[in-house]
Amino acid sequence: MEFNQVKEVLVAEANRAGLSEYEIYFMESGSMSAETLKDEISSFSSGVRGGVSFRCIVNGRLGAAATELMEESEMRELVARAVRNAAVIESDDPVIFYDGDESYATPLLPEIENPDAARIKAVALAVQKQIYAQSEFVTDGTQSGVFTTNVRRELVNSHGLHLSDGYHACGAYAQAVIEKNGESQDDFDCCLGLAASDLAKLPENAVKDALAKIGAVEIDSGKYDIIIQGKQMRALLSTFSSVFSAKAAQLGLSLLRGKEGSVIASDAVTLIDDPMRENYPAQVTFDGEGVATKKKAVIENGVLTTLLYDLSTAEKAGKKSTGNGQRKSYASPVSISPYSFYLAGGEFSEDDLKARLGDGIYLTELKGLHAGANDVTGDFSIESAGYLVKDGKLSTAVKSFTVAGNFFELLKNIEALSDTVHFDASTGFTSYGSPDVLIRNMSVAGK
Amino acid sequence: MIKQALLEELLAVALSTGGDFSEVYAEHTRSNTIQFVDGKVDKVNDTVLSGVGIRIFRGERTVYASTSDLTREGLLTCARSAADAMGEGNAPISIRLTPTSVFDRHPVAKHPCTSDLSERIDLLKAGCLSAKEYDARIAQVQGWILGVDREILVANSEGLCKEDRHIRTRMGVSAVASDGNENQSGGCAPGRGMGLEMFEEFDPRDIGRHAAKMAITNLTAEYCPAGQMTVAIENGFGGVIFHEACGHSLEATQVGVGMSEMCGKLGEKIASEKITAIDDGTIAGAWGSVNIDDEGTPTQRNVLIENGVLKNYMIDRLGSRRLGMAMTGSGRRENYTFEPTSRMTNTFIDNGPDKNEDIIASIEYGLYAKEMGGGSVNPLTGAFNFSVREGYLVRNGKICEAVRGASLIGTGSQILKDIDMVGQNLATGQGVCGSSSGSVPTDVGQPLIRVSKITVGGR
Repeated sequence: MEFNQVKEVLVAEANRAGLSEYEIYFMESGSMSAETLKDEISSFSSGVRGGVSFRCIVNGRLGAAATELMEESEMRELVARAVRNAAVIESDDPVIFYDGDESYATPLLPEIENPDAARIKAVALAVQKQIYAQSEFVTDGTQSGVFTTNVRRELVNSHGLHLSDGYHACGAYAQAVIEKNGESQDDFDCCLGLAASDLAKLPENAVKDALAKIGAVEIDSGKYDIIIQGKQMRALLSTFSSVFSAKAAQLGLSLLRGKEGSVIASDAVTLIDDPMRENYPAQVTFDGEGVATKKKAVIENGVLTTLLYDLSTAEKAGKKSTGNGQRKSYASPVSISPYSFYLAGGEFSEDDLKARLGDGIYLTELKGLHAGANDVTGDFSIESAGYLVKDGKLSTAVKSFTVAGNFFELLKNIEALSDTVHFDASTGFTSYGSPDVLIRNMSVAGK
Repeated sequence: MIKQALLEELLAVALSTGGDFSEVYAEHTRSNTIQFVDGKVDKVNDTVLSGVGIRIFRGERTVYASTSDLTREGLLTCARSAADAMGEGNAPISIRLTPTSVFDRHPVAKHPCTSDLSERIDLLKAGCLSAKEYDARIAQVQGWILGVDREILVANSEGLCKEDRHIRTRMGVSAVASDGNENQSGGCAPGRGMGLEMFEEFDPRDIGRHAAKMAITNLTAEYCPAGQMTVAIENGFGGVIFHEACGHSLEATQVGVGMSEMCGKLGEKIASEKITAIDDGTIAGAWGSVNIDDEGTPTQRNVLIENGVLKNYMIDRLGSRRLGMAMTGSGRRENYTFEPTSRMTNTFIDNGPDKNEDIIASIEYGLYAKEMGGGSVNPLTGAFNFSVREGYLVRNGKICEAVRGASLIGTGSQILKDIDMVGQNLATGQGVCGSSSGSVPTDVGQPLIRVSKITVGGR
């Protein structure tokens, strides 16, 4: 069944059930990817999937159900399930279906190509060949890959709102494995789009970074001044992004509750959420409730200007939704989440920031963030690797230590940031970015 | 789910361009989660996932295509797109399937998705309320109860055709304790490969109290000191140490392509002889159990390490080709959109020779990790990390004050040698393991163990 047929069946069924408030969210996605091993394509995969969710308000309570079995009998059952689910809800949170905004942003989608299967395979093989060409120490287990995704969404509700949008994206990655002096190491780099200049950097970066880890030494436990590389800082930001959710704050699960308008970070820190950021592929124009997406500063020069709201939390707080009520798949409930979320660049070049650090650690790997960090308390204790910095210059590679701290304290202790923001290669609705950040006096556990 | 004649046609189309093996995996999964927040039912997530994945092998090369379009045309398009990606040609292939039934080791008494919603809500409320009532400092309680009913069909060009059904149930309660200045959290989330009858084993009120107690303990704890020390890791979810430090490195996904520190070590002594480690997908009603894996192979009790000697890997169908070794019923995937790969089921270190009280008494100064959180590993180097959710310092053989915010890091090959005492209270804990074929339910487990020396991250 096509979406139009699905919609007709669901609307008819909603009317038959006497529902005056309902909403239909449809999402369809396609993907392709190729992966190499040694000198050939080891696997190729493709997928198409589409599903729909139906939400309704019955006696002021929200009911929902979702399916990807697009059959007429299933659609009728879907409405019945949503009504049944609404009957057991006890929450008094406001439930709102949206009338729509006057205008929605026009995506400035980057010109990302839409490659076919042959091109995907050719690029993956070319990247793989380049990895082996980088160094005699590159060994089997090395992999490269290319991936594409395309997404189309429609949202229809009983208030007469009908929105649709879509995007496509592609990218590539290199995972280099090297063996030198009896030691194995690997490293990874990826990019969005398949521009020749970006592809050329992947093998270089992955091999260079893997080689640099050989012979890494352990360090003593103690307090160190640290630069967290942009790539790692954005991962830390991702881990703690839920603290900016108004839902978490209203439930007392975020320590940012009641802090809007207060200083929560050093004045060097500005944190932006920009759904229409240049070169960000998933430029969605409406959120999972039909609210127009928009750019905002969440932290501006250290001050928490706003949390991220959906319709329900905004109503509760007497504010307007910030358009962050996302639904990442046909089946996902509304969940508050940022779009392109990044720390704005500072005033120092990356080299100048190292000079300012003087002696310390340049942190290039944080591992197991999903386990070693607690977003309720802000505490983290993370397996790390990187390089010692002496007199502002990188020296010995270091490994097998943890860095411990607290995210909220860390925001206040950011002394300076570099001027280049490093964004991830996410093709989904949320992406993160950060420059290198300098923080003094962090706890390190080593040998 | 799909008629036999159409399955045979799809398998034949998939093989028509030079593949030497084809497989159709069909899935219809219903999942239902009730969420409880702030004393009230907050949300019901009620989802049907439905689709097909078609896989082709040619030697060690694979092609995978998936679709949620289950019409005949949609399925044939999927099979053809996979075949086109494998090669060229139009070879006439004939496939004859032999449907066989699967013995169900995990019969379910009370279905967790279709039973009355109010029965599940009552169980969940009991868990959440007991957490809230545990201590006045419990500021927030959230809970959920999950039911999953996964029907699968696997058919392949060797004639295999099997259908199976996996049902699982889990309840989670998380509690936040607050003293006005800071928050600390605790949680508990047991699950079983069974229906609501799992609550005959687990009183929901104990789940809530367990979560609340952990939050309160952490609220009064100081930060864990950093450095290398002797660590005793308690049973149950403590087994995550083996899962991360060693389990992933024993998966054919890694071993088959030379990306594991465990490559080529079969028959070698890699651990203290007190260690016997097992992956067993057959345990009746366990969270990580399935009758057959997602490639149609029956699960088995797979002894990975016996008295310190490496005996076997966990091997899926592709891994079996790469390694030239038998499949072990380890081919798993989150759902039809993922190509299966070798994964763990219920993985644990077996009981050992040491008395639990001797283990604690042997530690002059160290950490007692009572409850572990999750972790991760780089199988190539074996470098792993995991977090301690509830920990205590040990002095002169006695468990002393609680400490929080600790993590443990090390390398798999080293920690296997450094586990020098293994106790006798084997128990399991439930987790959801993420890897290239998505998130799958897995049990981890062990008795109390002692690690002679490991880096503890703290401050």
